[in-house]
Amino acid sequence: MQFSYEVNDSYAEVKSVGRLNMVAAPKLREVVAEVVAGGSSRVVVNLAETDFMDSSGLGALIGCLKAARQAGGDLRIAGVQPQVKMVLELTNMDRVLTAYPTAEAAFSDD
Amino acid sequence: MTEVIARRGFHGPSNDEAIEAIHNEMDALWDDASFVPDMDRMTFATAVIEAAANIVQHALPAADKPVEIDVDISVRSNRLIARVSAHNAREPFAEDMQASMPDSEAESGRGLALIEALVTTVTFERQDGTNTWILTRDT
Repeated sequence: MQFSYEVNDSYAEVKSVGRLNMVAAPKLREVVAEVVAGGSSRVVVNLAETDFMDSSGLGALIGCLKAARQAGGDLRIAGVQPQVKMVLELTNMDRVLTAYPTAEAAFSDD
Repeated sequence: MTEVIARRGFHGPSNDEAIEAIHNEMDALWDDASFVPDMDRMTFATAVIEAAANIVQHALPAADKPVEIDVDISVRSNRLIARVSAHNAREPFAEDMQASMPDSEAESGRGLALIEALVTTVTFERQDGTNTWILTRDT
């Protein structure tokens, strides 16, 4: 699992590659905390290359969403693959974590 | 009981490496049982990883020996079966066995509810210091 991020004018994109499981979840929290602390509270987590997420990974996304909102921004997800979509739906978190087809689309409407 | 078509397992210390190793075994299992539909692979693998992660995160050693995790996954013509065990473990705390979905603000506590939503049957057994989850999914 690896994370990288890129900050542009309107949002920061965090790329998540690999399995977002209990091993990777704390790293995602660290990366998003760093991005938000750096002044980017509008965050897109790009999951296009994340083929697996468990409840720990989901918990980390929720924690990151709260951190972004507390800083006055928001966190959105993009490029959701079938397994991640399934976990979001079964936990009813698809209503809270809004999924966009691409990172570019995530903040394009505001 | 129908014949086992493919089988994979793992035994080792209960830690982060075990989670990745079990996931790799599951990926390899599907290579040996390519007839299993994608939806069944996806749901079952998620349930097995949730059960294993529950052990790594919550199982406490019963004595001075560390907790070890043991996973046995088998594919039959119409059923997937996984036995996910914690050896040398204490009986789980009631709060770690909570199977209802928490509210949307919660950052943990969804694992067991998710397992129940993903498989056909979930059974928990405790015998001789070993806690075992038995997960089945009819395919």
